[in-house]
Amino acid sequence: MSISLPADNPAAWTYRRFEDLVSIPREERETLQLEAVRINFARMRGRIPALKKLAERQGVETIDRIEDILPVCFDHRVLKNYPLQIIENRDFPKLTQWLDKLTAHDLTRIDLTGLTTIEEWLGRLEAFGMLVTYSSGTTGKLSFVPRSYDEYGPWKFHFFNVNRVCSGVDAYVTKLPTFFPGYRGGYQTMLKMMSLFNVEMAGGDENYHTLYDTHIPADLMALSGRMQSAEDKGEIGRLGLDPALLEQRKTMLEQGRRRDQDMEMWFARLIQEFKGRRVKIGGTFSDLYRVARSGLDKGLRCEFAPGSILMGGGGMKGYKDAPDDWEDQVKYFFGINKMGNQYGFSECIGNAPMCEAGFFHFPPYSVPILMDQDGKAMPREGVQTGRLVLVDPIPTSYWGGFTSGDEVTMHWEDDCDCGWKGPHAAKTIRRFAEKEGGDDKITCAGSQQAYNEFMEFVAGDA
Amino acid sequence: MSNVIDIPIIARGRIILPGEGDAVEYKGRGGATFRSADPHKHIHDLVLGNPVLLGDLRDTPTRDIVDFLAEAGKRLRLEDNVHLQESFALALQAGGLAEPILRGVYDDLPRMFDPNGLTALVDSTIGIAYLDGWVPAKEPHANVSLRAVGTRQLHITAGNVPVVAALTIVRAALTKSDVLIKSPSNDPLTANAIARTLIELDAEHPVTRHIAVAYWKGGDEAMESQIVRPSRIDKITAWGGMSSVQHIQKFLSPGIDLTALNPKYSMSMIGKEALESEQVMEEAATGIAVISGFYNQTACANTRIVYVESETDDESLERVIALGRKILAAYQKLPPVISTPAAARNKELDAELDAIALDEDFYHVEGDTLNGGFVVSRFSDRIDFYGQLNNRVVNLVPMPNILDVAQWCDDSTQTVGVYPESLRGRVLDTLSLAGVQRIVPLKGGDPMHIFEDMHRLPPGMPHDGIEPMRRSVRWVIDHRPAEEAAVRLSVAAE
Repeated sequence: MSISLPADNPAAWTYRRFEDLVSIPREERETLQLEAVRINFARMRGRIPALKKLAERQGVETIDRIEDILPVCFDHRVLKNYPLQIIENRDFPKLTQWLDKLTAHDLTRIDLTGLTTIEEWLGRLEAFGMLVTYSSGTTGKLSFVPRSYDEYGPWKFHFFNVNRVCSGVDAYVTKLPTFFPGYRGGYQTMLKMMSLFNVEMAGGDENYHTLYDTHIPADLMALSGRMQSAEDKGEIGRLGLDPALLEQRKTMLEQGRRRDQDMEMWFARLIQEFKGRRVKIGGTFSDLYRVARSGLDKGLRCEFAPGSILMGGGGMKGYKDAPDDWEDQVKYFFGINKMGNQYGFSECIGNAPMCEAGFFHFPPYSVPILMDQDGKAMPREGVQTGRLVLVDPIPTSYWGGFTSGDEVTMHWEDDCDCGWKGPHAAKTIRRFAEKEGGDDKITCAGSQQAYNEFMEFVAGDA
Repeated sequence: MSNVIDIPIIARGRIILPGEGDAVEYKGRGGATFRSADPHKHIHDLVLGNPVLLGDLRDTPTRDIVDFLAEAGKRLRLEDNVHLQESFALALQAGGLAEPILRGVYDDLPRMFDPNGLTALVDSTIGIAYLDGWVPAKEPHANVSLRAVGTRQLHITAGNVPVVAALTIVRAALTKSDVLIKSPSNDPLTANAIARTLIELDAEHPVTRHIAVAYWKGGDEAMESQIVRPSRIDKITAWGGMSSVQHIQKFLSPGIDLTALNPKYSMSMIGKEALESEQVMEEAATGIAVISGFYNQTACANTRIVYVESETDDESLERVIALGRKILAAYQKLPPVISTPAAARNKELDAELDAIALDEDFYHVEGDTLNGGFVVSRFSDRIDFYGQLNNRVVNLVPMPNILDVAQWCDDSTQTVGVYPESLRGRVLDTLSLAGVQRIVPLKGGDPMHIFEDMHRLPPGMPHDGIEPMRRSVRWVIDHRPAEEAAVRLSVAAE
């Protein structure tokens, strides 16, 4: 018998045990998902101006089949479709006006007086009840997820739930000292989740150890390209930036240059200090591997207590160039034989934990659809490879349908060796790109990629 | 499609076909598979290890070289040259250019080998006397002579427009140089076809004996470390700039001269007078449609951003939008030899356009990536994805002060179309200092006329702000004792 879940309140699904959520028989699950998406779309269609516009343009009124949602899913570019100029000019009224079209909340009521930085703006939004985080892609342009405290509950329940199934440790009960080789604080999505959830899981600030106790301000992330080119032209003074920000940039660049050494020294200290204790280690795969490799080269191995946890993060970064057995090396060095892994994007609450059999399983409140080269829905059966679209019916302050830039191989049948049901994605996930391409096409047209020293040194793995 | 196309290596008059135990396959564009002899096994066929072997070409008078090229030009006609037909079919399949445009480009090949044009080209850039012998300096320095000597060159060519292959062969022959052409995957056969035509004409001609053509994957270190050595290559010309030299860069060392023909980005500037009446707006729109639409916006000289002298209030922007609509209408009227609707959508660009179309506060979007389109910025800045503009989509940017455009110009800004001509005087000198390399007219209202007008240049004009032909020879000084020159002069006087 499966659990009873209300289609009109998918947020409440996150209160259930993950194991129960991935036990729902396929037909029942798909009926429930379609109903939840139908209700959520009907509710949000008129409340989010950008969604309303897209739905009108696409002529989508209602959702009868799950594929009907595809034309009204936001391309990932939509969350950064503002002109870069408004960030450069720190034009907060315009930036707010832009964000207002992506949320059901009325942002015109926010008092914007006195704002000088994006960090302050994000803080002002938080004070208003928003929980807006950002991520920065390869271009450096920030994309903002217009979440609010309306989603805080389900986000947190889901996060604790998924971390429990990944690690076998219930963070409500067991608090483990945690190491994270990165920054601390701020509104970058992963760092905000750390402040919101991970610190509590570790048992408080004093139990949560980060490489640095500061973070890269959003302003530096957003303006790095602009600052670099202004510096090249000798015109950085003309940007009218706060001198403190320029000073911060210098510090960050220096920090970036020493990061590898800092990280090794920092880990070396923690490894000694927490010898024989149960701990949790998180980080991007590339950082974990870097630490492990450097330790192993010195003939070192960690001696933490049994029941310690390794948790990889930061998407799939670092998968590409590492040796085939990098994961074994990491486990061997830390002396922990399981590494938790999750896949998802910051726009959707329900990221997918990796099972014993090595597949990412989506919870029922993350409804996956695969799209082919032409943007058509692919069959939800057997094994298919295509571009991933995820529909999250939980949020009520923003629209949860997103088309990602990732190509995934989805196994649609309830046949995973781990016993969990539902669609599950294979471990190898790539950027979705045009498949028709010569090896090295050369043309005379195009703009030159500006070399960006700042991003190179500092933000590579942030 | 799973057809396998054989691409021979051309090695100094010889054609090396893939064969038993000597074949490699690689993926081309449009799903084709190419097969060629393994270039790793033919390094010595591709490079000229001993530069003194250029003596045969040095001793061939320029007039003979011109005659030989001109004879070849007569055979470079698509209708009766099987090699060109094959290369044409492949280029068509690669999908860069539509059939009528590609046909126009190929039809133009014989003209590039016109003897009068070739003679003027080499004489105006280098001077035939300097290639054929030693030229004494003016008195009182007649004891010092100068000669332009051919070099060993590697050309990493661009494949978006096949004329690059012809241009490369012509320039190399006229400078009496040895050339190795690394073909691009998006045009693996044009250079090949021209070289094979030369072989059929005379496999022993010194020009033919100094042309090698091969494909290998950019970044193939085993290949590139063997080729790019000061003992084997004197000059490298890299189209596509960094993207094409990023691999080779690590082998560059003093002694190898690199000419990087950087990726370029072009634009147009429209003065406020162009918005004053329907009629002038039509003329401006036709000019913009031609300069952005020719070769279906695949070339570096194509306009992608149009800066319009205009305020940014709603009423002014309506005029800019009206100009955009006229450009869109003008695209539909361009002759197919200049421009056609795209064969397929550009999905990445479509996604960008769709994303900004959701917010009308900042941008106004019309059209699509099939028939052409435009984005009007509602403020004075270009769109953030301007680097992706293609498929006849332009960004119109209102500029209250048109000279502010200089802030976005640099070495990558190649060609600027201006309208009306009265704007030219106001911007010419500023643009020149800011990095722009060529300013062309858009006036006239007749697409064919505008197209021909902007492409009609005297022979040997600079390319991307530099003079590639002058740069590709070695200028050697023969400095004799002063008294010997006096003797020579007195002998000459008798």
